[in-house]
Order: sequence, then structure tokens, then C-alpha cells
Amino acid sequence: MLETSAKEFNLGSLLKDLPTQIDKLKEFRKLVLTDAVLLGEIPSPTFNEEDRIRLTVDRFRENGLVDPEIDEHGNASAILNGTEGRSSILVMAHADSVFDANTQHVLNVGPDTITGPGISDNAIGLATVVALPKLLEMLGIKFKDDLIFLANTKSLGRGNLNGARYFLDTMKRPIRAGVCVEGASQGRLSYSGLGTLRGEIRLEIPGNYDWNRFGSSGAVGQLTRVINQLLEIPLPKEPKTKMILGGLSCGTTYNKTPKRGTLRFEITSEEDQVIDDLRQKVDDLCEQCSLENGTKVYLEVVATRPNCGIPFTHPLVKATRSIMSELGVTPEVNPSTGDLNVLIEAGHPGVTLGLTTAENIGEENESLHLEPLPAGIAQLITLLQAIDMGLCEL
Amino acid sequence: MTGDNKKWLNQNTYHHGEFWDILKLVKEKEKKGLKISLCIPTLNEEKTIGKEVLILRSELMERYPLIDEFAIIDSGSKDKTLEVASSYGADTYLASDILSEEGDKRGKGENLWKAIHQLKGDIICYVDADISNIHPRFVYGLVAPLIQRAEVQYVKAFYDRPLNYSNGLRSSGGGRVTEILIRPLFSLFYPELTNIIQPLSGEYAARREVLEIIPFPIGYGVETSHLLDLYLKFGLDAFAQTDLDRRVHRNQTTNALGKMSFGILQTFINRLHSQGKIDRIPDMETFYRRFQVEDGSYNQLTQEVVEEERPAMIEVTGYQNRGLCS
Repeated sequence: MLETSAKEFNLGSLLKDLPTQIDKLKEFRKLVLTDAVLLGEIPSPTFNEEDRIRLTVDRFRENGLVDPEIDEHGNASAILNGTEGRSSILVMAHADSVFDANTQHVLNVGPDTITGPGISDNAIGLATVVALPKLLEMLGIKFKDDLIFLANTKSLGRGNLNGARYFLDTMKRPIRAGVCVEGASQGRLSYSGLGTLRGEIRLEIPGNYDWNRFGSSGAVGQLTRVINQLLEIPLPKEPKTKMILGGLSCGTTYNKTPKRGTLRFEITSEEDQVIDDLRQKVDDLCEQCSLENGTKVYLEVVATRPNCGIPFTHPLVKATRSIMSELGVTPEVNPSTGDLNVLIEAGHPGVTLGLTTAENIGEENESLHLEPLPAGIAQLITLLQAIDMGLCEL
Repeated sequence: MTGDNKKWLNQNTYHHGEFWDILKLVKEKEKKGLKISLCIPTLNEEKTIGKEVLILRSELMERYPLIDEFAIIDSGSKDKTLEVASSYGADTYLASDILSEEGDKRGKGENLWKAIHQLKGDIICYVDADISNIHPRFVYGLVAPLIQRAEVQYVKAFYDRPLNYSNGLRSSGGGRVTEILIRPLFSLFYPELTNIIQPLSGEYAARREVLEIIPFPIGYGVETSHLLDLYLKFGLDAFAQTDLDRRVHRNQTTNALGKMSFGILQTFINRLHSQGKIDRIPDMETFYRRFQVEDGSYNQLTQEVVEEERPAMIEVTGYQNRGLCS
């Protein structure tokens, strides 16, 4: 009881500093925005993050961090030594983006917004992690724990979180907790990872296909049939389960019957067994379509994540909610399908935070709002301080 | 290519990557007691100016103090250029407020000329405001040869690798006006200057002592006149050029380039005459004429393009009184 009161008192004193910290961060925001533009204008599609990572590790070095390095999976990491260094806190942001190298990576900087592909997901998140050591120096904040900064690769899509997974598998330092930093949206609070399966249903019409057979059709027709059957698979309401058909590619022109096509989809569920059952049903459906129609239909699973999480009542979540409340931000609780999953899977308590608000996320005219950013960064720094003070432990 | 040309190209052509160590440049600059000013001339550049100010100030003034002074000199923008630039911490000036006793003329050259009076640096670097992919290299790549080599007076940017490429030779990648106007003219009258790969690039850096002794056309001819005047005074060895890789900027219409060429030709022909390359020139028209087809009929459009020139800054009383003369 006494210990709880002392923790609340300490957190209260941190919260009192928030307005001052935000004011100072308004002065220093150019540091983060510059890194966001320089990093964000380097194309960084999943599996090809090298150039952005090179600048990241240069910045780690320039900002005086210890042991800046790029590991075998291309992750960049570095350490800010704490005054005691008994444990470590991990601050991470994914360095990859959904935009390919052919996209014109030009960001427009206005007085209130930055607009361009990937600025919110996740150039600004990465830039904040990169600039954080300088910001802490400017704010005069020191940590007892070591801070480990990580720009992780191969996070999105087929990357399947493999960069962060490798880093956490091979990292030997004790980690007290971790925070995943995303550009949007401020108020985001993820403390659990949602069980996920991402897959592609591939359909190919063989060269010897019998076009006179009953019901024969090209890949568009066959894929439509697959989609209709997929949509007929019943999804349970409890545990909550969702299927998204996220992408379809088939054919190249108006007047040629396509011979192959791909459907991309995602299944998420609060129960791993439900995902396993649904996967089996999709597999069966593919086999049925193959045999009934004389085509080749098969499922390729590109990414999976098990359900994981820490409780809503965990002190780390509680502290995060208190900080958001002090900032006047209503938490938006959503399970993550991103880096947080591997952090928690690896046994470390963690949350994912969003820094500011944004529009058109995932589109080339993605637009980031600058006004809420200092509060978003202050939220991150205060949470790290709370972890450092031992206020986020069970 | 003659041996001299090849030697000059080898010795005076750089790639910005050679100057990646900005901290080293800062130390050399400080050791030599040099001050560097950066000027961005603007007119309605609200879309790109924010990023230029943000990146160049943060990287080259705050992180690495290579630049001592940074000013936006504006020709009276009607959009939010000055508001956006100020919001990212730039010092902004209206060209009309600088040396106001000398009057106010409209044109980029006017802003560049007035920058010599307004800014205090020993080296002044000019960067256009319409670069979409701005990066610190656009400045450090240009000032570095001036910091490192006392004999270099003027450094010009170019943007494409002109020589061997993995799949063979490639042209210099100059703009249309460069390739069909300037390069033929230089080849005819100033063959040595053809070594300057992109003579019209809007990014360059120079020492105050050379900028203050040459006149400035206020319009399109300013880049050409710099090359011709400094070449006459110092020869090719005063020049260097730096490959800044890719530059993304808005594309100009052919009509706009025609008007630009008309202005440049005025400057060029005047220089030919004043430098004794041609005996006399007739009175030249100042109206640029072109055609427009409308509803099947041809209409001639005329636009007046007068390449007025400002005198060498060192001759201006206000500048002499400011105590900046070299």
C-alpha cells in the first residue's frame, strides 16, 4: 500500500513536468522534423531498408550513442548509457515503409503539416527514436537504466516482424520494458498483440486447362468463386474475429483472359485456435477449388502472430493512461499486429504509442499534423522516465 | 578534349560525397577565420521553402555550424512564402527594403545582388528555392572547395554524372536552354567555359571579393554574366564545380524557356561586345515574340524582357559605407 502511494506520488511529480517539457519540445521540434524529412525521403520498402538504416546508424553515432551497429537482419541499434545501467529500456520504431522505391519520396513541409508517402508510418516515429538522445540532452534528463534505441527492419507485410524478432532473440541485455513508437495516432494505446494470419491465395490456370469444361473461366472468374466461398466461412463473434480481403491482382488488360491471380487477406482473432481452424478451412477451400475446377489454387501464409499481451491493469498500461489523461488525450485501446507482438512474445512488458495525428495514412499524400507532436514526444519521454523510476513494474 | 581541359576537369570537378565530413569542414572554416552566408532568393515558393529552411538551418547551422548566416530575400511574394520560412526560423527580408536608396527592381538577380549588401559572410552561397529534394549537400558541396582551396573563387553546381556510367556514356543532363543555347554559344565564343557542365544551375557559392566587383543582371542573364565576367578577370582556374547528384524541381514550359533564352541572349551579346569579341551590336529589341494558335488562327504574343543590370556592388555608396568591402 505504502509502495503504491509512493509510486503514485512519483508519477504525479513527473506529470507535473509535462507542460514545461512540451514547451521546451516546441523549441526543439525542428530536430525531429529534420530527421523525419531526411529519413522519410529515403525509400525504405520492407527487405530494402539499407539506405534508411545507414542514415539512422550515422545519426546514432553523431548523437553520441554507444555501440551503434547494424546486425545481420539490417536492424540499427545503439545504446545511451544510464547512470547505473543495471537494466535497459528498449525504444523501437520500424524503419520500413509500405511504399516501393519507385514512389517519389518527396515530402512537403508546410507550417502545420508534413505531407508525403510514409511520413506518419513511420518516418516520424523513427525520427523521434533517432532524435531522442539529443532531446533528452537538451531537456537535461538522465536515466538510471540504459536506453536501447532500435530501428527495426522487416516489420511490415511479408517481413513478418522478423527484424525485431531477430534482435530480441539475440539481444542478451536485461530489458525492463519496451516502447514501440508509431507516428499515428496520438492516443493509441496497444498493450496486447492480436493473433494474426496473413496469407495469399494464388490461383493458376494450367496450360492444358479444358476451356470447354462446365463452368470453365479465366482467373478473374475463378478468383471470384474463391472469394464468394471465402466470404461464406462463418466467423465467430466471440472470441472477436475478423477477416479482411486486402488486395486482389489479376490480369493486365481489357481483352486477354488472365491465367493467374492473387488474393491477399488477413485473419485476426483473439483466440489462436480460431485462427488455426480458419486456416484449415481456407486450405480446404483451396483444395476443393483446385479439384473441382481443374485449376491450381493454393494458400501461402506470409505472416503469423500469436495472441499475447499484458493486462489492462499492468502498471505500465496504468502509467501510460495517466500520462495520456494528463495530456487531455483519450486512449484508443487497440491490439497491435505490429512490433509489440514480438516484444511481448519475448517476455518483455511493452506498449505501442502514437505521436501525433495524421490523415490519408498509407497513401502517397499521407499528412502529418505538427501541432500535437511535442505533446506526443513528451508522452513518450515521461513514460520512459516512469519505467526508469520503477513505476511500471508489477 | 585538350590536355588543359582534362586537367582542369580532374582538378576542379568534385562530387559532394568528397565533403561528407561536415565537421571537418567546420573546423577548416574556423581555422581560416571564414564566415559563410547562405541566401535563398524567393518569389512565391511556399510549397518548397519550408523544407529548405528546416533542413539547411537544422543541419548546417544548429547541428554543424558551417553556415553563419541564413537569409531569405524575397521579391514580394503574394503567397505564404515568408510566413512559412519564418515559422521554421529563417531571417526574411524584402529585396525592396535593402539598399532602398538604389530603387527596387524585379528579378532574381536583384535579390542576389542585394544579398551582397545584406549578408556579412566572406563566402556567399546561393540556393534556389524550388528544390523538392533539398539536402545539406546543396550547400556543403559548394562551399567546401572555397574553404579548402584559396585559389578557387566561384563554385557551380551540376546534377548529373556526365562521364562514364554503368551502361555507357551519358549526356551532361543540362537543361534545354543549356544544351541548345548556352553550350553552342560557349563553344563558339568561349570554348574553355564549356568545361562548366551546367552553366545555368541556380546553385553556386563565391567569395565576396569576386561578387562585389561584377555587375548583376537582374533577370535571366545573371548566371551567364557571372561566368563571362569572372572568366575574363580570373580565367578558368578561378572556377570549380560540384556534382550534387539529383535535383528535383518543377519543370518549366517551353514558352517560359524561350523568354528565358531571350533574356540570356541580351546579356550574352552585350558581353560579347564589351569584351571585344564582336565590333558592334545593332539596337536590340526588348520584346520577345512568339505565336499562339487559337481557334485555327495564329496570334503573335509579345512580352517585354529587359535585362537591366546592377553595377558592381563595390561601386555603390551604401555598400561602401557598410564596411563590408574586401
